[in-house]
Formats: sequence, C-alpha cells, structure tokens
Amino acid sequence: MATRDSLIKVTDLKKHYNMGTIKALDGITTEIFKGDVMAVIGPSGSGKSTFLRSLNLLEEPTDGSIVFDGIDITKKKYVDANGKTVNLNIDLLRQKMGMVFQHFNLFPHMTILGNMTLAPMKVKGMSKDEAEEKALALLDRVGLKDRAGAYPIQLSGGQKQRVAIVRALAMEPEVMLFDEPTSALDPEMVGEVLDVMKELAQEGMTMVCVTHEMGFAREVGNRVLFMADGLLMEEGTPEQVFDHPQNPRLQDFLAKVL
Amino acid sequence: MDSFIKLSNFPKLLPYAQLFWQGILVTVLLSVFTVVIGFCIALLLALMRLSNFCPLRFLGLDKNGHRKQRGFLAAVGRFNPLNFLATAYVEILRSTPVIVQVFIIYYGVFSLIKLPSVILFGFIRFDRFFPGVVALGLNSGAYLCEIIRAGIQSIDGGQTEAARSLGLSQAQNMRYVILPQAVKNILPAIANEFVIIIKESAITYTIGVQDIMSAVNAVKGATFIIIEPLLVATAIYFCLCFPTSKLIAYFERRMSRGDKR
Ligand SMILES: Nc1ncnc2c1ncn2[C@@H]1O[C@H](COP(=O)(O)OP(=O)(O)O)[C@@H](O)[C@H]1O
Ligand SMILES: [Mg+2]
Repeated sequence: MATRDSLIKVTDLKKHYNMGTIKALDGITTEIFKGDVMAVIGPSGSGKSTFLRSLNLLEEPTDGSIVFDGIDITKKKYVDANGKTVNLNIDLLRQKMGMVFQHFNLFPHMTILGNMTLAPMKVKGMSKDEAEEKALALLDRVGLKDRAGAYPIQLSGGQKQRVAIVRALAMEPEVMLFDEPTSALDPEMVGEVLDVMKELAQEGMTMVCVTHEMGFAREVGNRVLFMADGLLMEEGTPEQVFDHPQNPRLQDFLAKVL
Repeated sequence: MDSFIKLSNFPKLLPYAQLFWQGILVTVLLSVFTVVIGFCIALLLALMRLSNFCPLRFLGLDKNGHRKQRGFLAAVGRFNPLNFLATAYVEILRSTPVIVQVFIIYYGVFSLIKLPSVILFGFIRFDRFFPGVVALGLNSGAYLCEIIRAGIQSIDGGQTEAARSLGLSQAQNMRYVILPQAVKNILPAIANEFVIIIKESAITYTIGVQDIMSAVNAVKGATFIIIEPLLVATAIYFCLCFPTSKLIAYFERRMSRGDKR
C-alpha cells in the first residue's frame, strides 16, 4: 500500500464512568489515515459509540491521547508551529469532524434548508445566499432539493438521515463519523442511506462508521475494527476480519450476526 | 337567622367603585411587570445553573492534564460558582415567606435607595409600586428558574450533540437550537405563574401598593363594612384568574396537538 497520511492517532484511549467502575473504553490504540473507510463493529455496549464520540470530544476522555492534524486534542492547550502555547479551540476542531447519529438529530424547529445553513452561517460566517446555494447543491446530490422548505417531521427516516449527512458535509469536514446511521431506519430505507455513504467513500472522504451492516463494512470499508468490553480485540482488512477471524470473541460475534 | 352577608351593604360600596377599578389596573400591571422581571431573572439563573463554568478546574487535573476521577481536589475542580450562587438564591427564596421578602425589599433595600414620589396615571404611587414589582419579581424568578431549567433539560440531548458536532459554541447552541424549542415547553408554565402572581400580589397592599386588596382596606376604613368588599374582591380575583387559566389550558392542548402532526 502507498504511504498514507495519518489523520487521527489514538493512543491508549480510556473513558471511565462512575468513578472508574464502568470502563467504556479501556485503552484503545489505533490510527486513522486520510481516505480510510473504517468500519467499527462489535456487540452492544462494547464502547463503539463512546470511541466515536471521544474523537470529537463529545465525551471527555479519562486518559490517553488523540492526535488530530498533529495536535493532541485531549489537552486544553498545545504548542503551535511558532512555539507559542495556545488554547485548544474545541468548536474549531469539531467543524473538521462531521458526525451523523443513529437518531438523525435534525433540528425540528427549522426547515431542512435552515438545518443545513445554520452552522455555515453562524460558525463559518458565510452569507445567507452563499450558504443556501451550497445547501441546495448538497441536497440536490442526495435527491432532496425539492424538500428544502419542509420540516424534518415531514420527511421519512431515510430522507432525514440523508439530510443529516449533507448537513454535516456543508461544514466541509476532514473526516465523517457515523454512529449506526441505519439502525433506526425501516429496512426498506437502509439502502438509500448506505448508497450516499458509499458514494462519499468513493469520493475519498475519510470515514469512521460504527455499523451493523456487515455487507457495507465488507464492501466499502478498507479496514475493520472489532471492539468488545471497551477493548480493540481485532483489526484488519475486511477479508482478514470476516474470512479469517482470530479472536474467539470475534468468531462468536460473527457467528451470531452473519 | 342572621346572615353574615347583608345585601343592603352592597349599594354602600358604589361610591368606591373607582377604587376597585384602579385596584384592578394596579394588580394587572403589577403582575405583568413581575412576570417580565421574573422571567429575565429566571432565564439568567437557569443558564447559571446549567453552565459549565469551573474556574478551579486546573486543581482537579492529574499530571497528564486529564480530569481526576475522585478525591477532594476532583470535587474542587468541578466546583461551579455560578451554579452554586444560583442554586443558593433559588433555595433561599423558595424557603422563606413572600411577605418577609417584600418587607425586606421595601423597608430594607428601598430605605437606602430613595425613589421619587411620582404618581403614575394619577393614582399609582411609584415609590410603593416599584418595590412591590421588584420584590415579587425576585421571588417569581426563583420559581420560574426551575421551570425554565426543566424546559431546557427536556430537550433531547441529541440536539446539543448535533449542534456542537457542527461546531456551534455552547452559547450558539442555546440561542439557536435549545431555547427556541424550550420556549414551547416553558410558555404555558410562565402563563400559569402570571395567574399565581395575580393572587400573590395581594400581599403588596401591606407596603401601600393600591391594588384590589388595598381598595377593600380603604372601604373598610371609611365605612366599617368588611365582608361585602371582600366578596367583591373575591369575585374580581376569580374573574381575572379563572378565565386566564382556562385560556392557557386551551392553548397548551392546541400546542401539544401540533407536536403530534
Ligand atoms: N454516560 C454514561 N454513564 C455511564 N455509563 C455509560 C455512559 N455512556 C455509556 N456508558 C456505558 O459504557 C459502555 C459502552 O457504551 P457505548 O459506547 O454506548 O456502547 P456501544 O455503542 O458499543 O453499544 C456501556 O456499558 C454503557 O452502559
Ligand atoms: Mg452505540
């Protein structure tokens, strides 16, 4: 494989709850490279969501480090290129990481267009016209341009999730994090969302996808991570993980889901 | 059998009708101002209680800069003075009688701050009315704070996560995402607080605010009739409060229907 640029380097990441009695993450070490499509699989409660949410600091890690674009984002301060100590701007960091949730989390009091333009306007300072033009172009890409004026409640689950994906894309992130984006959907709507994700992967977007869609993980992912009990149990290409699983927990898991 | 109500007493109240009209106006104005001030105080208190302001956070960090899980310093690091002050305010005001608060504001605070003795609309004495509004506003702020806080907390946490993951700051998230949704939950409660204040404001006649109760008192002083003016006041308060609560309940039902569209 050609040399790849590191985007996120995770070292011994831990997240404990309740004074350390719950170890949601108990030391995860991995590296995400530009252009990676990483599928994260594992049984419920294994810490997949916590891992994803730690990456953009929706959860504050208990220990370990996450180096993103050369900066350890688990620290409040870092030393910049000129040797100056500056405060970490979490909001700026999060702009660079788009996130898509299981339950869409569209803003119900705003139209689809409102949902799409809020962050570009308020965070990036884009003009209304520019933000709307861009939003409509993105909506067009997922076939929802004609629903721009609708409210989230008027859309189907699959449509909502497609909007949620392009809402995140409107901020032009460097990496997209997906937390079970199809788990809350009726079966007939899963395909339309996976198609959008697949297209995104083909365009070269770096993606980390927590998913139960093993077909998607195998077909679109270039790497698969298997987690259990807050630990990274096995990591490899889809062929390695699905066809030649080593860890007994993984073998057991695959026997249940495949 | 002798009745304690004498119908013949009612016509004797007619010359004082003007006092009652003025009393109604004072009570309503007092309540409106109180709710507005109360809401502003409450919003501030609620945001303080929900804030993430921990100036001593650095004391609770370990050598790697991560938050300690346990111990005294971890608790010090989590200490939020804004939350502490707001909580103390709310608990103190909810655990003491309104009349004590009204007296402290009027005889205490406003003995230091001299108010001009202007008369508004020809009958509202500003130096009584204003302390009354301040005292009731401070009090209802404490009650509304919990309502606003609950309204904000009732919004699904996924909304904040989505907003923050898009790069919105905590303040932007509040302003553009959370509060517009929370207002819908909060408005009926604020309207109900308005009805409660209409009734509670009767207490301000003790510091000379010329509200409905003060009209009763004036009639009593002049004619030695007490029960009949009290019945008039009862009728007035009921006519102010009952339809208002029914109206609020009606709009509350309509609004919650809109949700299930
Ligand atoms: N806020 C929290 N407080 C306490 N425990 C939590 C919290 N969030 C997650 N956990 C626990 O951490 C573990 C991992 O959760 P999660 O990352 O959601 O798993 P997954 O996404 O793989 O199903 C679970 O045991 C869960 O109960
Ligand atoms: Mg999960």
